[in-house]
Amino acid sequence: MENSNDPKVNRRSFLQYALAGGAATGVANLTIMKDLFAQAPAGPIVIGHHVELTGGFASWGYWHDKAARKAVDLINQGGGIAKRKVVLATEDTESNPASGARKLRNLIQRANAEFVMGSVHSGVMLAAIPIATELKTIYMSMGEATEATGSKGTRYSFRTGMDTYSIAAAGVPWCMENLGKNWTVIYADYAWGQSHFQETKVIVEKLGGKVVGNIPVPLDAKDFVPYLTQIPAETQVVFSIFFGSLSVAFYTQSKSMGIGKRAKMYSVSGTLEAIAPADIEGAAEGVYILENFPRMLKYKDDGFHKEHNKIMELDDIDAREAGSKRIMAKSHAWQSWEDLYTLKAAIETSGYKTRKDTEGVIRALEGLPMKNSLGHPQGDKLLRKEDHSGILDCYISLIENGRFEVKKKIPKEDLAKNMPVRHDLSKMPV
Amino acid sequence: MTNTLIALSINGLVWGLIIALIALGLSVIFGLLDIINLSHGDFFMIGTVIAWTVLTTTGSFWPAFLLAPLVGFVLGALIQRIVLQPIRNAAALSIVATFGLSMILQEVVRMTFGPTPRRILPPIRGTFDLFGIDYEIYRLFAAAVSILALAAFFLFLHHTKLGTWMRAVRHDPETATAMGIPAQRVYRVTFGLGFALAALGGVVASPITTVDFRAGVDVLPFCFMAVIIGGLGNLPGTAAAAVLLAFLEGIISSFATPTVARIASLVLMSAVLLLRPQGLFKGLTK
Repeated sequence: MENSNDPKVNRRSFLQYALAGGAATGVANLTIMKDLFAQAPAGPIVIGHHVELTGGFASWGYWHDKAARKAVDLINQGGGIAKRKVVLATEDTESNPASGARKLRNLIQRANAEFVMGSVHSGVMLAAIPIATELKTIYMSMGEATEATGSKGTRYSFRTGMDTYSIAAAGVPWCMENLGKNWTVIYADYAWGQSHFQETKVIVEKLGGKVVGNIPVPLDAKDFVPYLTQIPAETQVVFSIFFGSLSVAFYTQSKSMGIGKRAKMYSVSGTLEAIAPADIEGAAEGVYILENFPRMLKYKDDGFHKEHNKIMELDDIDAREAGSKRIMAKSHAWQSWEDLYTLKAAIETSGYKTRKDTEGVIRALEGLPMKNSLGHPQGDKLLRKEDHSGILDCYISLIENGRFEVKKKIPKEDLAKNMPVRHDLSKMPV
Repeated sequence: MTNTLIALSINGLVWGLIIALIALGLSVIFGLLDIINLSHGDFFMIGTVIAWTVLTTTGSFWPAFLLAPLVGFVLGALIQRIVLQPIRNAAALSIVATFGLSMILQEVVRMTFGPTPRRILPPIRGTFDLFGIDYEIYRLFAAAVSILALAAFFLFLHHTKLGTWMRAVRHDPETATAMGIPAQRVYRVTFGLGFALAALGGVVASPITTVDFRAGVDVLPFCFMAVIIGGLGNLPGTAAAAVLLAFLEGIISSFATPTVARIASLVLMSAVLLLRPQGLFKGLTK
């Protein structure tokens, strides 16, 4: 016998629940969409910062966070963006792609960030771009994996800084001419290191050189002896791609094994970012490094750079923070400062009011020139229209007596010439 | 080729001995307390930070060999009392607790020591020619310290009253308690010793690797592999497995890519789990 109180689902109750559920979902959706698309234009403009405050990239994240906060203060003191006060919403990615993806949704859907300055961690950045695109939010990438403005780029992903493609295009030609033609690439075996290896190999071979050694190193390596003994004898240039403690361990152990005596050592700024060569007891002495914002003021000696250092509380030699031992992640963290000014220019040019005007900002960013100024202390640059990539000046420095001594400036025009457009993101739908 | 093979084999032995020292602490804690300690790598990290602090404050590296295990022992005993004793009977909770402890230790070090990795110069400088490669003299010293520490620990375990108590509590805690052995105190000492061994490993390894708040994250998987291959809680087995693993990786690295060498270690671990889940060295003294 059927009990009238039986909680079993019948056709009538199913329809009731379905209608109620549908109505609730509709209301929730309308509320979210209202937040996303109909924010009052007179209110503050919320810009999200997707940053590594903890985890493996914490030493960089500190500087990205500080640069963003200082730049927001400056912008607000100058009247904000389009006369609207800027509110910075910050989320810690924990240097972890899974956490980063979740935090990005928080930024956009809960904190109502209308634009996001993105992660410097390539894994987090690549996890974030599809989400930002799905939520129709501009994401200013800062990691170096080329895919963000290449095969995995979208109309919403931009990068004012450098990627593995532009780093190879900027540094390899000079190194081939001055350091040697037989290269060994030794790198952290994940997306960032692999991407560097692939991009570098292409340019080395294109310029008539040879990659004689390809040595991926597991991320949990502590002992480098098995990897360093793999470097072929005919190697003239050892190109190393590590970051943080792995980088210090590499320099320490390669120094003790005398690798630098039989080959020239070359690397990218990321390997010594947030680290003063003097603090690692000379382990990186004699290494050539590709920078994009000289560690020492004297190599880009102008008032904007000087004022930037002053606001960031840096000394002009090591970029060390006053009253602490921290060294600024200088070739990366400027993006958190400059990207705010880049967004400001694009928002004001396009007449952006609400999220429905995002397409106008995208069009304004595509091909946006930036002038050397306090807003852009790294220097003149261009956000190339087709691949949304930064075209900027770079510097090859040699670590001498614990300092980054610039040996060659690579002008942005040379960089642009060496890195033809491979992906046209500007033709993708918004 | 032959020279490289010999050099990498010797290096594997040397590195394996250092890892054995760290992994032994993990095995001690599991063997006696049944705790899968996910914060063990951070105990190693604390050792490296103590070494760096001692060096920068006193100008000498040597006191760290004494101070780090002492501080480690005290911290370990405190952690056992405050964090683990209240959840003694819940194995699953201990995994969560030690994972949380790991995060706390990392973040405390990040906030105090800072997030930037540091380098310690070896207290014994210089290299010598080891079958064609420049090899640091300090590594041989580090291996010697590891052998001494391992030997001292096994002597302690088998020839002291406390060591006998530890083995008795491991064998049968109820009977040991009935015989008047203070089990809670033994647990505390055991956890302290586990921490002290890892901290000493940190001091020994710090001039070779780096000092960094996340240094322990990378060490932990290798230690777990040694403990699994050696047999959970099997102390001599763990030490032998650590040496075997590093030795194996050293040899394979001489003719294949280092990544293949790492894969080989993982395959070995999987094979042991599949065919000898009790570990390769069953039968050795626990």
